[in-house]
Amino acid sequence: MSPVLKKKRGGLELTLSTEERDLLRALQTELRALYEAGPDDADPIRSRLFPRAYLDPTAEDAEREWRELVHPELVRDRMAALDQLLASLEPTPGARGRIVLTLEGESIDALLSVLNDARLALGTRLGVTDDIDDDELYPDHPLAPEIAVYSWLTYLEGLLVDTLLGDMPD
Amino acid sequence: MTATPIETVPIASPTETVGDPDTEDINTTDRPWLVIVWNDPVNLMSYVVYVFQKLFGYSREKATRLMMQVHHEGKAVVSDGNREKAEADVARLHGYGLWATMEHPS
Repeated sequence: MSPVLKKKRGGLELTLSTEERDLLRALQTELRALYEAGPDDADPIRSRLFPRAYLDPTAEDAEREWRELVHPELVRDRMAALDQLLASLEPTPGARGRIVLTLEGESIDALLSVLNDARLALGTRLGVTDDIDDDELYPDHPLAPEIAVYSWLTYLEGLLVDTLLGDMPD
Repeated sequence: MTATPIETVPIASPTETVGDPDTEDINTTDRPWLVIVWNDPVNLMSYVVYVFQKLFGYSREKATRLMMQVHHEGKAVVSDGNREKAEADVARLHGYGLWATMEHPS
């Protein structure tokens, strides 16, 4: 069963199939395009990735100033996470058909950032309202491929977050 | 999907900086800005707890309580402060993919 996440001294070891590695690469390409496109209140996905700070519609000036101040850094950090993940996904020796990633520090944060943003983008596109029922995974569902990717992301992010929470103080 | 945000009276806010006569530069009639996290159907509950602990240094208990408030009531005030602090906190929460806004109760 893949993916497998194990704690290692000073970090984590993530084992993926080559198909899963390719999926992460494809997702980071999609996210890169969304980040480059930037905020758009009229686009559900881009407004979810880059929400407003001020709900008050009369605060447009404050919103614009805030966005000009923080948006470049928000994009820079996310692009850096994509680059870091790509570097982590470079081929490593391992069992045939399996990719073993050693993650620590920034590369763990990068993986978490990419998984979460990919879920936000895909969940918004799918119109997720609650936990997706397993019966929606039936292969004849028109969105079955996207739902399967979303479920895979949820599974892997859940594993990762539980591991990180285990290392945090109560 | 989470309902469109509606204006409601803030539920609670930390009181450390409110009305404290020893606090500098705080006019006791001037309320702090509130940083609000809204419920959304995508972010994992465990992830939200993780972000609250990581960003604000909250205990597991406090982070979990705030996450449950977001989940059940649709939103929660997760931090407050002057405008600059609130703007910075909102940006950091957005950096983690949480849906956060700020408002000034009048």
